[in-house]
Amino acid sequence: MNPSAPGTLDLDKLFAARLQAARARPYLATALFALHPVASRQVSTMAVDPHWRCYVSPAFVDRTPVEELAGVWVHEVSHLLRDHHGRSDRVARERGLSGPGERLRMNIAADLEINDDVFGDGLVRPEGAVEPRSLMLPEGQLLEDYLRQFRLGPRLQHLAWLDCGSGADGLERAWDLGPDGAHGLSAQERDAVRFRVAQGINGRPGSAPRGWRRWAEEAFQPPQPWRELLGAAVRSATSGPGVGEDYTYGRPARRSAGVPGAVLPSLRRRPPRVCVVIDTSASVSDAELGGALREVAAITRAVGGRRDLITVLSCDAAARFVAPLCRDEGIGLVGGGGTDLRTGFAKALRTRPRPDALVVLTDGRTPWPSTRPPCRTVVGLFPRQHTSRPGDDEDDPEYVPDSPPEWARVVVIGSPAPGAR
Amino acid sequence: MPTHTPSRSTPSSRPAAAEAHPSPLVVADALSTLLRTTATEPRTDPQLEALTLAVAADLPVLLWGEPGIGKTAALTQLAATLDLPLTTVVASVHEPSDFSGLPVVGDDPAAQGVPMAPPDWAVRLVRAGRGLLFLDELSTAAPAVQAALLRLVLERRVGALRLPPDVRVVAAANPPSSAADGWELSPPLANRFVHLQWTHDHEVVVRGLGGTWPRATLPRLDPEKLPEAVDFARRAVCGLLSARPKLVHQLPSTETRRGGAWPSPRSWETALRLIAFATAASTSREVLSLLVRGAVGDGPGLELLASLDRMDLPDPEDLLADPAGAVLPERGDLRQAVLDGVVAAVRRHPDRSRWDAAWALLVRAVETGAPDLVVVPATTLATLRREDWDVPASIERLAGVVSLSRRADRAAARVAAVPAQAGR
Repeated sequence: MNPSAPGTLDLDKLFAARLQAARARPYLATALFALHPVASRQVSTMAVDPHWRCYVSPAFVDRTPVEELAGVWVHEVSHLLRDHHGRSDRVARERGLSGPGERLRMNIAADLEINDDVFGDGLVRPEGAVEPRSLMLPEGQLLEDYLRQFRLGPRLQHLAWLDCGSGADGLERAWDLGPDGAHGLSAQERDAVRFRVAQGINGRPGSAPRGWRRWAEEAFQPPQPWRELLGAAVRSATSGPGVGEDYTYGRPARRSAGVPGAVLPSLRRRPPRVCVVIDTSASVSDAELGGALREVAAITRAVGGRRDLITVLSCDAAARFVAPLCRDEGIGLVGGGGTDLRTGFAKALRTRPRPDALVVLTDGRTPWPSTRPPCRTVVGLFPRQHTSRPGDDEDDPEYVPDSPPEWARVVVIGSPAPGAR
Repeated sequence: MPTHTPSRSTPSSRPAAAEAHPSPLVVADALSTLLRTTATEPRTDPQLEALTLAVAADLPVLLWGEPGIGKTAALTQLAATLDLPLTTVVASVHEPSDFSGLPVVGDDPAAQGVPMAPPDWAVRLVRAGRGLLFLDELSTAAPAVQAALLRLVLERRVGALRLPPDVRVVAAANPPSSAADGWELSPPLANRFVHLQWTHDHEVVVRGLGGTWPRATLPRLDPEKLPEAVDFARRAVCGLLSARPKLVHQLPSTETRRGGAWPSPRSWETALRLIAFATAASTSREVLSLLVRGAVGDGPGLELLASLDRMDLPDPEDLLADPAGAVLPERGDLRQAVLDGVVAAVRRHPDRSRWDAAWALLVRAVETGAPDLVVVPATTLATLRREDWDVPASIERLAGVVSLSRRADRAAARVAAVPAQAGR
């Protein structure tokens, strides 16, 4: 097919639609204007490639009203901003997904991620845009999550024509101009555009929907699996200088033999004592607590802590009891109702010998101590309340709990990296 | 993965060997020699180029990468290219005193003091006068060892010994997610390095296993460009920091950022140095992006790159002075940034001729590119009109822009008229 005769592409209509899209979503204007439209008769609607070109079918522009085209513009640029092609490639590698059928599934999953909060509020949902609801899937998830929740089949036959191009699922298309073609953006330029958009959203967070705000927060800070982060935090809290180790002259250094006459101190470590304070208020589920607690126990053992040196304290409005962690399954958690972690902190610090590190597992809906405790503190935060999405049933959406204090290292628990699982 | 060709003195030729029943090891050696025979080829590899440039700029580099993806191989190769002897020190198996020096008691400690003796590898490095010091597995070194390394990396001191200036330092670390038993890098140590993410390129690996590895070339610094490069780098960094004072110093606060690059006066100086070297060597933005983000972190690095992009854009005053000869950027978002800049310049110093020149520029923009970019600048420019200024005749050529804008307005009105669009 030859992509010539682009004269039939109604550029005025296409640009009027882009203008309307940029007015409806000012924070995406930079990205919209950075897209370079290319007329192509091979695409059925509009499609993007990873180099920020937008292939447009002239016939599609002719038959589609301006306001719907505006929605398609935003939809296509969302694929690029959210790096759907890179993420699709990663998922394909990690899960061994191959074949055009899988790429179509990735395209659909990417569309699901975008479509649940990109339309409305000044933008029309284009006809046939697939939404989580139409596949009976929950809203607000990521491409990687959706991908494991549906299969291609007769039920999805009507989506087989769907094709947002290589920019959406990473599979190169016949019409792609490739990295060396005209008007492509280099990786650095793509980063710069994405950065400017993210900056715009972070600068005025009120004007963007939650999905976009979450994207902007994470665009240049890829989230890491919480287990590793919690592990690093606990390890650092329990093994940092001054915790559980010191130089001692009580026993000879292993290097003493090499320097006769000098008395060298030897470095002596005693296993760190860790106190885990667990928020057992009603808002934290048992499964979450169990998982997080097992992690803390495993990590602490990995840094040399013995089971008898880990104490667990369950705490809601009052700190209930302190118990040594003797068996993984032997932890009794008592509680429910409101939380005041301050009592938990106080009680944990009163234990003798004093803990080297405090690990606090909570959902964060609690008052925090006003002063810094005299040992390192790691907070494992259950994220539900903070990243709740539209559709979550919140009693009071305006309620913002105090954020954990500056002196604590905060790890958000249960937020896996996209494609990391 | 050594890159040298095999020595000619391979073991005895095969027929003779067959007669004499060679020891199995001789044949095994011959096979190993054949396997070692690899060639190199020049190849554009941004991460290798970034590494080479940072080493040339004499900045300590830290390579982050999963185990087994060829960090050591890249270093071996870099050392060969730069003709520097390579010294590898695995930081995690050393004690702090190996880097701060071992006390050696002499005859009269009260009179002579106790010197801190350096380890043998340091002595050999000093004797050679030059070399590439590779500190491997930095992130698995205990915090006390890391503290001792601070001095080595920054002051190049090992005990009483000072490493010669021609010694370059490169370190490698495994990311926290793969190093289960690792400590994270302390922020002071992290701040001294240029952090480069080392990933493997599928194609490079396949070609390399087939016998051909990419070759690093030393960036060629253009002597003509040196003063210009320094001036450019200073303008870039100072321009950004005077506009964004908050970026000067930001300790990493989020968990994912710990152990990585973060902005401080020291790392900004590093960035400045890197920009100057990259400019003098005419390296691509791609490579500069890796380096700058590796020095001050992703956020501040991207801001710096964004301001470099703006420095590349034509100056609004130049455009206003010669609207007929103006060359506007092709890319839509940059073009709009330029036009916005022009309108802002007119707003700062409004006068009739500048206002007319700005209209001429907008007309030019419509005739050479997408019209929707011109809507906002044109609307703003129209509001700057003074009563006694006549509307220039050329404005008629913007009629298409006005109709485009109206078309978008109508579409927006239609959207607003549809009740309850999909809930939100």
